[in-house]
Amino acid sequence: MSHLRYTIKRLLQAIPVLIGISSITFFLINAMPGSPVEVMLGPTASEELIAAAEERYGFDQPIHVRYVKYILAAMGGDLGRSIHYGVPVTTKIMERLPVTLLLLASSFAFAISVAIPLGIVSARRRNQPVDHGSRVVSLIGVSTPNFWIGLLLIIVFGYHLQVLPSNGLVMPLTPISEVEGATSRLDVLVQTAKSLIMPTIALGTLQMAAVSRIERSSMLEVLGRDYIKLARAFGVKESVITRKHAFRNAQLPVVTIIGLQLTSALGGAVLTETVFNINGMGRLIIQAVRTQDYALIMGTTLFFGVMFVIGTLVTDLTYAYLDPRVTYEGED
Amino acid sequence: MAAETEAADGEEYESRVGASYTLSRLLQDTSARISLFLIAIISAGALFAFVDAEFLDYRLAETYLYHPLRNNVGARPLLPPVGLSNQFGEGVMAHPLGTDTRGRDIAVRLLYGSRIAIQIALVSTTIGVVVGTTVGAVSGYYGGWVDDVLMRFVEILYSIPFLVLVIAFMAAFGRELIYAMIGVSIISIPIFARLIRSEVLSIREETYVEAAQAAGVKDRNILLRHVIPNSFAPVVVQTTLQMGTNILIVAGLSFLGFGAQPPTPSWGQMLSIARNYMLPAPWFSVWPGLAILVTVMAFNILGDGLRDTLDPRLEN
Repeated sequence: MSHLRYTIKRLLQAIPVLIGISSITFFLINAMPGSPVEVMLGPTASEELIAAAEERYGFDQPIHVRYVKYILAAMGGDLGRSIHYGVPVTTKIMERLPVTLLLLASSFAFAISVAIPLGIVSARRRNQPVDHGSRVVSLIGVSTPNFWIGLLLIIVFGYHLQVLPSNGLVMPLTPISEVEGATSRLDVLVQTAKSLIMPTIALGTLQMAAVSRIERSSMLEVLGRDYIKLARAFGVKESVITRKHAFRNAQLPVVTIIGLQLTSALGGAVLTETVFNINGMGRLIIQAVRTQDYALIMGTTLFFGVMFVIGTLVTDLTYAYLDPRVTYEGED
Repeated sequence: MAAETEAADGEEYESRVGASYTLSRLLQDTSARISLFLIAIISAGALFAFVDAEFLDYRLAETYLYHPLRNNVGARPLLPPVGLSNQFGEGVMAHPLGTDTRGRDIAVRLLYGSRIAIQIALVSTTIGVVVGTTVGAVSGYYGGWVDDVLMRFVEILYSIPFLVLVIAFMAAFGRELIYAMIGVSIISIPIFARLIRSEVLSIREETYVEAAQAAGVKDRNILLRHVIPNSFAPVVVQTTLQMGTNILIVAGLSFLGFGAQPPTPSWGQMLSIARNYMLPAPWFSVWPGLAILVTVMAFNILGDGLRDTLDPRLEN
């Protein structure tokens, strides 16, 4: 099966997954105590007022009717209105999404560019000081809560040294007039970079450490295989063995872990955004849960689902590229 | 399950594998010894806190230490650790790590917070490994529609951001610890399922599996005796990472206000209080994080040691 056909097949398979996500969230959210209308109107609202509002937002209908309506509307791109913000859910998401994407991209770039060289060096110089050093770094990395790293960074660089902002994230395309002390686009970009440093380290450290651990153990496994021994026996240089023979074969578990790290990074974004008061998707979800904003919780969750499906597809295709033994046919 | 298989095989190969061999090899590793020692101490502390809190109504704490929940009227709030001083006063020996906003002893609260971390992580990781391994192995080995159905289900679970899933779950069902445990279990399952499946996809193509199939070995036995044991090493690594990850998730949940509710102490919740006092009392933010770091690190070091012991391919 060609990769194109496989891609199309996977995209089609994604549809039931997305419906599944919507269904789980829908029923979970509807198991919450109290109706969102009561929450919105407060405890003093009269029964008539509540009934009128429930009718307006459609909460007076039976659950299966609401479910079918929700799924059909979602397929057409309508995720409903946020009760708390009073705007369509998609509007709110589009406003917050770039912030989180920037934070995630920056964290993964940081994580991967540090982790892969670290893991390889560690595996090649097993039990030497470099290996011990990098293992200690990754151990601390996977063992530290990202919000705690955030708090410590704020204490040191935000409060004591006062070199980095501890609040918010300046987006690179923010109008110049809205950024304090900025007179040109360059100033804005500098502010973006500065405000991105601490959240990136806080969020990216876990992924960095996790990837470098797997990179190390995977490289060690591959370097212990017979064909590598054979290559060594033929006198192939160690650097060539690492680059040409071992690297590609060792990336299979690494790709899995990077793919898996996507959701843990999304979860991490919730905490990082909370610590640094960044108004992204993570904070949006927490606010939505706290205000029992049904439509917003379901919409953001579904949106994370879409991002995840794209992520998995990329992971699987990378897989097939790296390991020709993995075939997508032959099950029949 | 896999450990039993190893032990059973061990008799044929004369103690190169098996639980006692693994343990004796493991104990030769200094860092693994230290981590085992740390885990023993932390678990003992957690068990002490569990027994005292659940069965003795904090009588042990009150008699020998300080009450971890009640406001400590005798002590000044936000005292620094012993040897330091701040605007609230000087650190005293009676409260070696300092006091919190209500004058409660931080060291005692850390001890009682360990209980939450260990309890939830242990239960949820175990469920995650058992269910996830089964689902992943079956899915990868059989392929076809079994794979499609199981993996779609795993993907659905997995594609909901885990913190949100647990928070929504707890908002819907209740904030008791049991729901935190179930929630964290649910998010652990897909991780193991996907990891095992990717291993099985490769192992399935190996000659020894074909040979077993040709010899008419039952699928169940091929899975249990060949496929799962051969993909066991990465699961061990992931299990230890997951113990750590789950402690981190529980801390994150408490930090956001989901999990053990005040006044019951948990490490994440202590950090969320400390966050408001970062300028006058920075050390208050340091201790709970250190507790998490040390605990999670101990599990990770142990896992590393286990990996080196369990994976014969790494022996040179």
